[in-house]
Amino acid sequence: MKGLNNKILEVDLNHDKFNEVPVPEEILLDYIGGRGLGVKLLSDKLPVNLNPLDPKNLLIFATGPFGGTIVPTNGRFSLVTKSPLTNGIFYSNSGGSFGVVMKRCGYDGILIQGALKEPGYLLIEGGKDIAIKEASRLWGCDTEKTLEEIKKIEGNRINSLMIGPAGENLIKIAAIMNDAARAFGRGGVGAVMGSKNLKAIVVKGGDTKIDIDNRDLLKKYVKVAQDKIKVVPITRSSLPKFGTSALVNVINILGMFPINNFQRGFDERATQVSGEEINEKLTQEHEGCYACPIRCGRLTKAGDMKGKGPEFESVWALGPNLGIYDLITVTQANYLCNKYGIDTISCGGSIACAMELQERRLLKDSSLQFGNSSILKELVKKIALKEDIGAQISEGSRLLSKSYNSEEVAMQVKGLELPAYDPRGAIGHALGYATSNRGGCHLTGYMAALEIFAAPKKIDRFTMAGKPDLLVLKQNQKAIEDSLVICAFAGWALGLDYYARFMKAITGIDYDVVKLLEIGERIYNLERIFNIREGLSKKDDILPPRFISEPLKEGVSKGHIVPLEKMLEQYYYVRGWDNNGFPEPELLEKLGIKHI
Amino acid sequence: MMKFMIVEESIYNIFKKVGKHLVRHGYNTSHSGNISIRSGGKIIIKRRAAMLGDLQLEDLVVSNLKEEDSSSLIASTELGVHRAIYLETDAMAVIHAHNPYCVALSLIEDEITCIDAEGFALYKKIPIIDVEIPAGAYYTSIEVPKMLKNYPFVVVRGHGIFAKGMTLEDALQYVTGAEQSAYIRYLTLMTGKPLKRDFSKEKDFSIW
Repeated sequence: MKGLNNKILEVDLNHDKFNEVPVPEEILLDYIGGRGLGVKLLSDKLPVNLNPLDPKNLLIFATGPFGGTIVPTNGRFSLVTKSPLTNGIFYSNSGGSFGVVMKRCGYDGILIQGALKEPGYLLIEGGKDIAIKEASRLWGCDTEKTLEEIKKIEGNRINSLMIGPAGENLIKIAAIMNDAARAFGRGGVGAVMGSKNLKAIVVKGGDTKIDIDNRDLLKKYVKVAQDKIKVVPITRSSLPKFGTSALVNVINILGMFPINNFQRGFDERATQVSGEEINEKLTQEHEGCYACPIRCGRLTKAGDMKGKGPEFESVWALGPNLGIYDLITVTQANYLCNKYGIDTISCGGSIACAMELQERRLLKDSSLQFGNSSILKELVKKIALKEDIGAQISEGSRLLSKSYNSEEVAMQVKGLELPAYDPRGAIGHALGYATSNRGGCHLTGYMAALEIFAAPKKIDRFTMAGKPDLLVLKQNQKAIEDSLVICAFAGWALGLDYYARFMKAITGIDYDVVKLLEIGERIYNLERIFNIREGLSKKDDILPPRFISEPLKEGVSKGHIVPLEKMLEQYYYVRGWDNNGFPEPELLEKLGIKHI
Repeated sequence: MMKFMIVEESIYNIFKKVGKHLVRHGYNTSHSGNISIRSGGKIIIKRRAAMLGDLQLEDLVVSNLKEEDSSSLIASTELGVHRAIYLETDAMAVIHAHNPYCVALSLIEDEITCIDAEGFALYKKIPIIDVEIPAGAYYTSIEVPKMLKNYPFVVVRGHGIFAKGMTLEDALQYVTGAEQSAYIRYLTLMTGKPLKRDFSKEKDFSIW
């Protein structure tokens, strides 16, 4: 297929072997690249019921046909693996430039299997070298130090993925850091890399040209897209100016900003950690990913520390969800999560769970009180190093709460801690949490776009009608966006009508919106099938009981709960799944997916 | 298999609001036009011959999405077009209206290029198709969905517009936006004077 290299690099760490493997065109036509390609490869190659930390687990990084072209925001790329946190399929996506350089090195993806005997890093130098290099002295280093040391060896013009001590210690909420400050954050993917003794993956160089079917046409389409990005307020000013933390005040005012482990939905003090405050007090510089005109990233300084972020979800998870409103402490804890290589959302969510357990006098550690900011930074370190109470928290909120026979205190779905929107404030979004293939995730089908941001138009956030249908559309859309690959934020200005035109110009194939959505549907169903074969089922399409039976007590979302059971029944029907959430055989046949 | 389908009050309120807007602002006559949404794997559509500007709750009919059912006895004549649009495109809501300026221009042009800044930024152009028998569902159900795969709206020459959206309000904006662009174009054509700034010459929308 044009727009791709049509091959991946398979790395066998057990035997230091590297193979260039062609990807059959029918797979690319059916799954495109990025998330879709990763999901297909994982489904085909991973043994059933494998422990995610077994060396046989696969780490698959993949880019798509947009990567490295002139399409705006194409710098993102995907990771697919089996998660140690959820025991199900995990897809994640990250920005920067790594994916583009990987593609320039000649590969649409890297599939890693096996484990090294001693710590090492993988070097891919375009056109020159692929090697495993020894990294024993980097083991134990934080991500900043690791990057610094690798640059001394490989030079400054590199891009890298790496784990910190959290990944090395196999903690279930460990992230893979991307150039030390971006992340494949969620799902404990850092532990999978740690289980392989793989400290880092480095790419550099490469001059592989991307074959584009019609460059002039692509230029014309891209020009129209860039104009649109310039006129839409969210992409023109809100995201560039305030970053994702612009959401703090918006979500708080709607009474769905989770406070103290989702016990409340509003707090006046949240303004102290808002995007406006970050912009005024911390931001030093703005920055963006490869080929991104939006540039939502920022370099910040908090007290005596410098770093990137915090993003909306991080500032919430490490702040108001713990009853903490001290922006400097929250930002420094975010930096530390990046250095140790920890998912900020799951870190905050698991600490919040511990604090509620302590509040209920189940967990005996009086320092773990909501609002106690003095313990936060030390606690992040203890989690990464599995020390004291940190060892329990590092297992994630599901296992932590289970050990106290209080699973209702864990704000998670399928083991993945929930992000910064109380689902009682937007019930379509709630259904998205319950049905996301990777667990408690807001990105898999971002219904907040409609229910909160009126994009493209507002729908009542508390009504059920039409929500399952819209969610299915959003989930299929996101699956295809993650496979093309393009940033979710481009979606505020563009959409599948643009992406279909880009694809037509890049590949020469007559794509339209519907064709893309069919591919998205195929990917989503294959993920579902993967989860079913791993033992997940309808019983996992749930929300913590708090959201089903305890109305919010204050704010403009007061009195609302989630009518999950009714929505789920409709959702299964709309999806073409049976009452137990299994895709019907005729649907799988239509999509070309083998039955289990 | 899901067994129930309830038309919620909130859905009725949206239908009422959008229907009233279409009639009050001259996009439809007293009984013309039809609107629908996709919900719970079904289609909720206006009843045949119901007054769009004064819809009652019982004027909303729930129909099967994938195949004809007995609701076709009372549902809008254009149910078949709506169903085809839902099955073949990403539409979640559909409006069919008889925009006067879109219809007028469709009789003298092959596509309506947006020359106003709003239309230029949001829509670029309004495609026009010829259908053998424009009114009634059969022919339009074949041709209209093809265009709506890549455009938010299409004008059937001499008949009216079909617009899709994520929501009814979204589709309404496409209907009203297309009419605004057609109106501006019509007015400038009427003056017979050359345009001082022709947006359509600055960008090549023939490729769009």
